[in-house]
Amino acid sequence: MSMFRAKKFDLGCFTNIKVIRDHAKRKAFEAAEAERQALRYIIRNTTLPARTRAIAQLQLTQMHCYTRPTQIRNRCIFGGKGRGVLADFKMSRYNFRMQALAGNLPGVKKASW
Amino acid sequence: MSVPRARLLDLLRARCELFSTTFNPEGVRTGNKILRQRLKGPALASYYPRKIMTFRDFQEEFKPLELEIENDAELDRLEHIAALKARGKGTPKKKREKDGKAAKK
Repeated sequence: MSMFRAKKFDLGCFTNIKVIRDHAKRKAFEAAEAERQALRYIIRNTTLPARTRAIAQLQLTQMHCYTRPTQIRNRCIFGGKGRGVLADFKMSRYNFRMQALAGNLPGVKKASW
Repeated sequence: MSVPRARLLDLLRARCELFSTTFNPEGVRTGNKILRQRLKGPALASYYPRKIMTFRDFQEEFKPLELEIENDAELDRLEHIAALKARGKGTPKKKREKDGKAAKK
């Protein structure tokens, strides 16, 4: 969904369409988060009239799928891979190994005992 | 020795006032836990590193000092394209609507 993308390309890491898409989703979620939380509050509040809550439920489900936090997936910043990504380092396991062995990750060293 | 419920409720009310929490002895679901959550959008949106500077910005930055920097990768690319063009293997020119007929089908 190109309308969620930045008008000017703004990524400084490895890019492919999946990374661009994920980045767009993150920004869309950030923009809509307050609205989503407000709707979620109305839905969860049992003291409000049932009709209001039902309307809020509908509105929440009808929001664009890019504004959902579950659409966001951590991807590798070196290769764009979506699986085996170490969240602490934002890298896939292979790239993590390469960077760690090259000494680019402070405090990471190969275990041996 | 049992404590009357009214007294316990008073205690609860006083505690809520003191720690500025909502007094809700029946445990009615008011959705307050949603309001208590922190917004995680900024943290999620800053996951990927942003582009800091392009090579062109870098060149522009040094232009006032009359220092010229060559972008080797860009020069290589242009050279490669020139070589292709010389052999007649370059990319075709973009089709223009006005001159000539539009492609059939």
